Amino acid sequence: MRYITFALGKGRLAEKALEMLESIGITCEEMKDKNSRKLIFVNEELKLKFFLAKAPDVPTYVEYGAADIGIVGKDTILEENRKNYEVLDLGFGKCRMCVCGPASAKELLQHHEMIRVATKYPGIAKDYFYNKKHQTVDIIKLNGSIELAPIVGLSEVIVDIVETGSTLRENGLEVLEEICPLSARMIVNQVSMKMEAERINQIIKDLREKL
Amino acid sequence: MKEKLLHTPDGVRDIYGREYEDKLCIQDRLHHELKLYGYQDIQSPTFEYFEIFSNKIGTIPSKELYKFFDKEGNTLVLRPDITPSIARATAKYFMDEKKPLRFCYMGNTFINAGELQGRLKETTQIGAELIGDASVEADAEIISLVAASMKTAGLRDFQISIGNVEFFKGLCSEYGIDDEAEMMLRDYISNKNYFGTMDILDSLNLPAEAKDAILKISELFGSVETIRLAKKLVSNERSIHAIERLEQLYELLHVYEAEQYVTFDLGMLSKYHYYTGMIFRAYTYGSGDAVIKGGRYDALLNEFGRNSAAVGFAVTVDQLLSALSRQSIMIERQKPQELLIYPQTYSKTAIRYAEGLRKSGISIELLPVTEDLSAKDYLEQAKNNHIHIAIVIRDEHHAVCHDLCNGQTEEINI
Repeated sequence: MRYITFALGKGRLAEKALEMLESIGITCEEMKDKNSRKLIFVNEELKLKFFLAKAPDVPTYVEYGAADIGIVGKDTILEENRKNYEVLDLGFGKCRMCVCGPASAKELLQHHEMIRVATKYPGIAKDYFYNKKHQTVDIIKLNGSIELAPIVGLSEVIVDIVETGSTLRENGLEVLEEICPLSARMIVNQVSMKMEAERINQIIKDLREKL
Repeated sequence: MKEKLLHTPDGVRDIYGREYEDKLCIQDRLHHELKLYGYQDIQSPTFEYFEIFSNKIGTIPSKELYKFFDKEGNTLVLRPDITPSIARATAKYFMDEKKPLRFCYMGNTFINAGELQGRLKETTQIGAELIGDASVEADAEIISLVAASMKTAGLRDFQISIGNVEFFKGLCSEYGIDDEAEMMLRDYISNKNYFGTMDILDSLNLPAEAKDAILKISELFGSVETIRLAKKLVSNERSIHAIERLEQLYELLHVYEAEQYVTFDLGMLSKYHYYTGMIFRAYTYGSGDAVIKGGRYDALLNEFGRNSAAVGFAVTVDQLLSALSRQSIMIERQKPQELLIYPQTYSKTAIRYAEGLRKSGISIELLPVTEDLSAKDYLEQAKNNHIHIAIVIRDEHHAVCHDLCNGQTEEINI
């Protein structure tokens, strides 16, 4: 039997994902050791391998078949836009992708005006403004603390993930428009889905029953 | 040093030595297979007018095409695939042909995908098109050729996944799903996105059995049982006919002894409207993408003004080779090369002897002994290059034949 390899997006997502996999009998004791410096963890009995990767890299690993299955947020899937099967909404890590800014910026979204949009997700922002709103915008890619941009005048609005909205409120910003809901998803390589159909389908079926 | 001159651009590369020999060998084998079925070679130009590959006909987004202009300002495109060219050529030269036409081709194709993707922008494709035959027998011949191609390349563990877009189209027209919703459904279903499909279906206000049938499509993949199951889900003629066609195909594939490689996937839907029936992909381990893609596209030739059925496939040779190497499948070469090593003083003897061997079909490389390179050095190198036989000239009439595989030597008269 061949190994089936899981790529998990680092952080809270991976912890949640492992919990969920454990509930259907897929365990990886090696991974629970926080001091381990191993990069790849193996469950020899079930012939499974696991590794952690930076979230935006997960769809890449899966597309090239370096991992058969990936667990990663919908935001990353949309932004990376890779050729993978998206087979399951795992239901955790729920949040929203939104256009945010000061209340005064709401007006700027009504009239196809040329505005500046700061974001960590240029792909999603571009798709939303160009293809859904038909508004031409200047997109400025940032790597973190996106909320700063409208406060210091780098941009009029931002496109970012909103969980509770408390950071926004504390800084005088608000959700102006919702782009789409987000949550953790399971993605599968297109070749693996066929070549290992039986085992992968079983995993999908078991997980779906837990949802 | 002119080191800057030594680089090749991102996405293209030199292929040489053992790797290129392997590639040529595989290409030969695939070509041979196509000739066995009576396919005629055809060569089309490397670049053509943009319209031939525009988004109405081509399968590659316009922004990923290499475009340039001729002196009159026409937009030209380096071909991203070869099928549209074959369709154009057929429409042009074989307008009145009544009997089915079989063409095979080989050539490099160019796709300007993004940077830093680890993907080749120039790849070699070998393919076949069977034009003017709408029968299920034509479908079966193409599928069996796909299986034969995979086998002749040396692959044992592979799968040909077959779908039929008509099944989905039948459901869409039965329940009056509009074009926009159909496009979105195609996207989600071919992505096996169960929840996305469900969301759209919920917004469409369809009867429960319609929702159920469409939702099931993304799960309908596997053995021949799945399509029998699918048949029970639908009641419209078009979808049922699509399944029956696949069943007939499966029957015929038994005759070809290719049925064990086949699985079905009714959720395999192409974004391209000119696919009109069967659509398929061949998968194997060690390559993240399909090695062979193809299908039936009876509407494509229409774009060129000829009404004709067509079915075909293309092998991405580079993809196939990387799968072979990841599966550690050695490619056996038919005639290994030999070496003839000679001291300068006996050059004429060596040339005469080598020519004699070449006439009898042995390929042999001449290597003179120099101050820097002794016969021993050559033998050392030859061993590393997987050469079996090396002959070292002693004098006008004698030589030593080294069998580098088992280390034996033998005196021979020449």
